[in-house]
Amino acid sequence: MLEIAIGIILGCCALGAGVAMIAGIGPGIGEGNAVAKACEAIGRQPECKGPVTTTMLMGCAVAETTGLYALVIAILLIFVAPNMLVNILIKTIG
Amino acid sequence: MMKIDATVRRESIYVAGWIVLLSVLMQAVFIIIGKWDYTVLCGNLLGGAASFANFLLLGITVQKAVAMEEKQAANAMKLSQTLRLLMIFIAAVLGAVLECFNIWATIIPIFFVRIAIAFRPLFGKKDSENKPDSEDKSDS
Repeated sequence: MLEIAIGIILGCCALGAGVAMIAGIGPGIGEGNAVAKACEAIGRQPECKGPVTTTMLMGCAVAETTGLYALVIAILLIFVAPNMLVNILIKTIG
Repeated sequence: MMKIDATVRRESIYVAGWIVLLSVLMQAVFIIIGKWDYTVLCGNLLGGAASFANFLLLGITVQKAVAMEEKQAANAMKLSQTLRLLMIFIAAVLGAVLECFNIWATIIPIFFVRIAIAFRPLFGKKDSENKPDSEDKSDS
């Protein structure tokens, strides 16, 4: 019974990590669109290259944070959560 | 060797400064709560380096992408984002698996760039006032 419970915990942690990483797709698409529009803007007004690049760089870094949050959640679910949950389970059962 | 754009260099220096400042703050917090050891320092160095490398590579990719066609630029950014996420993943896994790194001290510095950007408007106004002039001078 204990083995099944541990198996369920490990499985759910792995599943949760996989689901969390879906959030990693969004920033890539968003950054791609932002840069494409910035290229268009620079093509129209080449003198604005500096300010556009700065704004885009900051915007891309902010957009990327969402992916990093997901990555950290996934890493914690894989490396930290299983040990913690299994310990809690064993303590509860005694 | 590729030349780094002045804008990218300036922003990278700004972010690096914040990473150092926040790292010192984090070390101080670990010392205060009595959980400091060499693993915290190693983890902080790994996380901070990965975080700075991520921002620098983002800047270099953006610098290259603005010279491309729209579709090509979008694809280049998507590829770069995936590879940079993989780099951060490897750094975080090393922090979690190896005994010489503290996992929290490795993961927390990854978010220092976000904090640096959150404080950007406080310092950005003065920069943006000087920016166009300085760039025009450098162009001419």
